[in-house]
Amino acid sequence: MESQPECRVEFDLKNVIREASRALALLDTDRLEELAFSCQALNRNPIPQDYAEQARIAREARRDLIVFERVLEVTRANIGVMRILQKSRKGRLEYHPGEG
Amino acid sequence: MGTISSAFDLISSGLDADQSALSIVANNVANANTPGYAREVPNWQENSPVEINGVSYGAGVTETGPTSVRDSVLDLRLAQQQQLASASSARLTALNSIQALFTPDSGSSSSAGGDIGTDITSFFESFSSLEANPADNAYRQQVLSSAKTLAGNVSNAAASLESQKAAIDQDAAGVISQINALTTEIAQLNQQIQSTSPDGEAGVLEDQRVQDISQLSQLIGINQITTENNGLSITTTSGQLLVSEDTNDALTSGITGGVTHLFLGGTDVTTQLASGGGELGGYLTARDQDISNALSALDQLANQISTSVNSQNNSGTDLDGLEGTGVNSAGVSGTGNSPLYIFTQPTQVAGSALAMSVVITDPNQIAAASFGGGTGDDSNTVAMANLANQPIVNGQTPSNYYAQFVSVLGSTVSEVQTENSAQNASVTQLQTQQNALSGVNLNDEASVMQQLETSYQAASQVFSLLNTIMTSALNLGVETAVS
Repeated sequence: MESQPECRVEFDLKNVIREASRALALLDTDRLEELAFSCQALNRNPIPQDYAEQARIAREARRDLIVFERVLEVTRANIGVMRILQKSRKGRLEYHPGEG
Repeated sequence: MGTISSAFDLISSGLDADQSALSIVANNVANANTPGYAREVPNWQENSPVEINGVSYGAGVTETGPTSVRDSVLDLRLAQQQQLASASSARLTALNSIQALFTPDSGSSSSAGGDIGTDITSFFESFSSLEANPADNAYRQQVLSSAKTLAGNVSNAAASLESQKAAIDQDAAGVISQINALTTEIAQLNQQIQSTSPDGEAGVLEDQRVQDISQLSQLIGINQITTENNGLSITTTSGQLLVSEDTNDALTSGITGGVTHLFLGGTDVTTQLASGGGELGGYLTARDQDISNALSALDQLANQISTSVNSQNNSGTDLDGLEGTGVNSAGVSGTGNSPLYIFTQPTQVAGSALAMSVVITDPNQIAAASFGGGTGDDSNTVAMANLANQPIVNGQTPSNYYAQFVSVLGSTVSEVQTENSAQNASVTQLQTQQNALSGVNLNDEASVMQQLETSYQAASQVFSLLNTIMTSALNLGVETAVS
């Protein structure tokens, strides 16, 4: 009888981070939330890997993490601009008795 | 005043206003796919009521014209981010071409410009091989051949970098033409806007101006200054005037010291434009910083290798028994009449890489022996092989210097790639926001149209009712008051 091949699960950290950068660029909050839940689940039940394997995965994802960090920074700055915009639009829509 | 006639006037104003608003919606729908079009909304204004004997009578409504929905803060932020993204994209394209010269493609052992790192190792190793058989012609040929490969690849890489500089100058010339065309158009639009809409909404003209500014900010780093009567002045990020209301200054190019420089109003603005952003900024940074750094590193490498190897060869005796003109480590001077050089002897660092070549054709001219040494002496060969491990290039061994140069180049490419990804993400976010604010949403327009249609129908009903009353009144011959 043939033995079943061992099912090997590899956590594709690099692509998870790339997907997060893409979702952040598109301000796709649903996708970001899904990814956050996935990461939380992985933290609760980590895939068994030896230290060297984890280090390799982390090394490979390093550059994507730097990109994600920069996307996060520009998003923060853009959200600042969007807040100003939202505030000014809200101000225009509100009724201010006694003005004008 | 409260007559059927005035009621007709009131409802007519409502019908006219609805019709005008419907035209605005129709225009929005028609321009849903027009690039740069900002959706318009109608402006409703109550007509001043008439007061008679303390009683105020409404006078209907007027639609005073459309207003384009846009936000200058958002437009400005988008323009700034586009400048950065365009600059890093242009720089990245140039950097990738530079890197291709020095880094082997995946799956390949050599890069577009050969493999200079391996060439350096092979060249010095060929002296190690010659040590054991200093008179052997085959080993001498090997030294000559590896020297030619090294010099050829260094010189080709320098020539490729010079070609890239020339290509960038051509691209920059194309960008300058586009910039001048856009600034001319913006100046004309300023004039039209100032004369037709000095106080308010300029509609299509404003759309065109915003679109031109958006295109301009992708080409060059700019600042916008709003002037009176809805005018606009545009400067480069370092403050040189490009557009002053209805006039524009053209960017020109000229050759200074063999390099293309850019001028604005007679002033050389090359350095300022390089750090200012936009496609032009990216090109200039790549040309004046990245390519220049790579060329200067190659020049340094070629200069130091050529000088050190020539000096050592000139301190020995060749296979024909001719001595060089140098002084050896023991302080003994050679008796030769002319120097024994392997490479072209550089006179200055700049241009050393491009000029690097092998000047000897006869392998016998390799000075393997020391002064006074016989054909079997290998002491000068040993000294030449040892140069590989000595800090002869800016305090580093030739191989380490080259490896560090390639590593720094790789880091620069990686940094610019990261910045470019982040800036493109930022532009995407802001464009999405701008589309949500200024873009035409057909569902929203359908909804507004439905409202206006209902309003128009209601006004028609009132009109019809008034008509019936008027007919009755005329038949009776008695004026009927409407309050």
